[in-house]
Amino acid sequence: MFTSETMPSLKFVPELHKKYLLFILNGKLPNLESMETNRTVLMYFALAGLDILDEIENIPPERKESIIKWIYSLQVVNEEENISGFLGSTNLITKENRGKNSPYKWAHIANTYSCLLSLLILGDDLSRVNRKAIITSLKTLQLPIGSFKGAKEGVEDDMRFVFCAACICYILDDWSGMDVELMVQFIMKCISYDGGVGQGPELESHSGSTFCAMASLALSDNLHRLTKAQFTGLRRWLLCRFDAGFSGRPNKPIDTCYSFWTGGALKILNAYQFIEDPNNDQFVLMTQDKYGGFSKWVNTVPDPMHTYFGLAGLSLMNISGLNKMFCELNTTRRVHDCLKKIQEKWK
Amino acid sequence: MSDYSSEDSETEFVLYRNNPEWKDVTPVKQDDGEEPVVAIDYTEAFWQYRREILKGLNKDLNIELDFIHKVILRQSKNYQVWHHRRVLVEWLKDPSKEKYLTELVLAKDAKNYHAWQHRQWVIKTFNLFEGELEYIDSLLLDDVRNNSAWNQRYFVINNTTGFTEEVLNREIDYTLFNTKDVTENESAWNYLRGLLLHDKGGLSKNKKVTEFCENLYKSGNHSPFLLAVLVDMCCEQINEGGGDSVYNLDRARTLCNELITKYDTIRAKYWQYMLDGIEKRPKRARVKRLLRAQIKHMDS
Repeated sequence: MFTSETMPSLKFVPELHKKYLLFILNGKLPNLESMETNRTVLMYFALAGLDILDEIENIPPERKESIIKWIYSLQVVNEEENISGFLGSTNLITKENRGKNSPYKWAHIANTYSCLLSLLILGDDLSRVNRKAIITSLKTLQLPIGSFKGAKEGVEDDMRFVFCAACICYILDDWSGMDVELMVQFIMKCISYDGGVGQGPELESHSGSTFCAMASLALSDNLHRLTKAQFTGLRRWLLCRFDAGFSGRPNKPIDTCYSFWTGGALKILNAYQFIEDPNNDQFVLMTQDKYGGFSKWVNTVPDPMHTYFGLAGLSLMNISGLNKMFCELNTTRRVHDCLKKIQEKWK
Repeated sequence: MSDYSSEDSETEFVLYRNNPEWKDVTPVKQDDGEEPVVAIDYTEAFWQYRREILKGLNKDLNIELDFIHKVILRQSKNYQVWHHRRVLVEWLKDPSKEKYLTELVLAKDAKNYHAWQHRQWVIKTFNLFEGELEYIDSLLLDDVRNNSAWNQRYFVINNTTGFTEEVLNREIDYTLFNTKDVTENESAWNYLRGLLLHDKGGLSKNKKVTEFCENLYKSGNHSPFLLAVLVDMCCEQINEGGGDSVYNLDRARTLCNELITKYDTIRAKYWQYMLDGIEKRPKRARVKRLLRAQIKHMDS
């Protein structure tokens, strides 16, 4: 256990993370081959991190435009097979099938989510997004139990994808993309005996799935469906995840990314303020790499995911200079405000 | 996604383009546009494509099962490899190797979420509950703080015997036995609360549990989980009509103050909020009673 007496106060150095995230966005990354099919997710972490650092303005307009163009090149509109949305990378796009539909050019729900948020972060107005096709395709991904699978075929289903689906409906302002009642029922089934929420029914409670569940309820305006006992249990379970830093499960070590997953869920349930520790930021700062980025644990290698969630977690702690979060959508209030303005025009 | 050959990891990896066996395949260039974003040098392998090839070529799926076994042992936190395994098991309708595989993974990381998820799926789908409680016992003997194992215990009972009075009794004994020496174990306390969801009397009326808690408290133990359970017992009793001689408003006040000032100070604001809520409750109940009486009076 760390106390204020034994631990030196660490300083947050935003410039380091700006450099690191720009490198991710623009540079060639070695050793991340396994992330190839999820390049959009990496891009999203880089852009979203820069957004929290309030650095989007400083990306040259031409570069923004080229990224937006690249994102739109990943849009699949296939209303015959209902597999519209966004791809994870260009690896299914060839000179021959560019702009056309072809086998395995199936959108993935996590990539659609990442691309839509990235477009919003970059200031795009989503006018080139085929909203109707994406919403229609989304419907086909919901399973009879209410959960969502990630893509048409070959992918698992769980609470992560429920959250992605809820975000897509919220961003596109069209909930006809899912059976909301069925989703609510699924979430209720995933609430465990200990108060938290698992990735599926009867699975172990986890802060990641608890966040996804609470955000999905909040985005679809269904938080009030929680009973008083469920609400109390959820808050208690989440509050117990704090011990010098946030963990994701009981008796698991604290980890940078849970400063957002747990912290964000607490924010959604209006309980973050119950945590009182002036050194709340110190654990996250211990995972700050001297060359930029945040890592999972102290003295491990930083990665884009933990960098983004580290920044998001610090933002919840009101560190100055960081944009405030709109936790339900896992984005900043700045981006959420832009979205609301765009949606006004759709009405 | 990386590419794996079924050979040992020591074997040098040869790119397909340099492999004579792939000579007759004309490569198709990926079109990344002119200004790539988060460009990555990679190798391709798509599990869905692989599955269709397996079907198309009518391959022996048992060989594939052995192959994915090796991949899982190296990449046990990758979603796709577990999904691939699950599809193969569904195709083969043969779950006989699954428990063993998950046990190998859990031997290295007893809390691997993917392994537990796969294990629950296979146990429930193919009704393989036999021996599971014994397996959980062995894991808890090894690490009584293994939350995944406690969760699995709940899963097994919920899907087999259910929480009958007899089972409830047995499980309460088991949990209290495992808590008496390790009192700051959130997992066991949570399991105990889970058990009491099935007790007709609720949280605060199981003699065995209340005796255990009171003795522990009297012995000077101040585990925040113990104190929290006691607070909740008070809440329950107060809500049901004022509280009995042990679990009442005064007791709740004492316990919350202990948590606030000494034993759970990082959550002090939360316990203060809890206490404020409890203080208001008797008043609210009294007002309700008065209102009800008045309405009755007006009706008559």
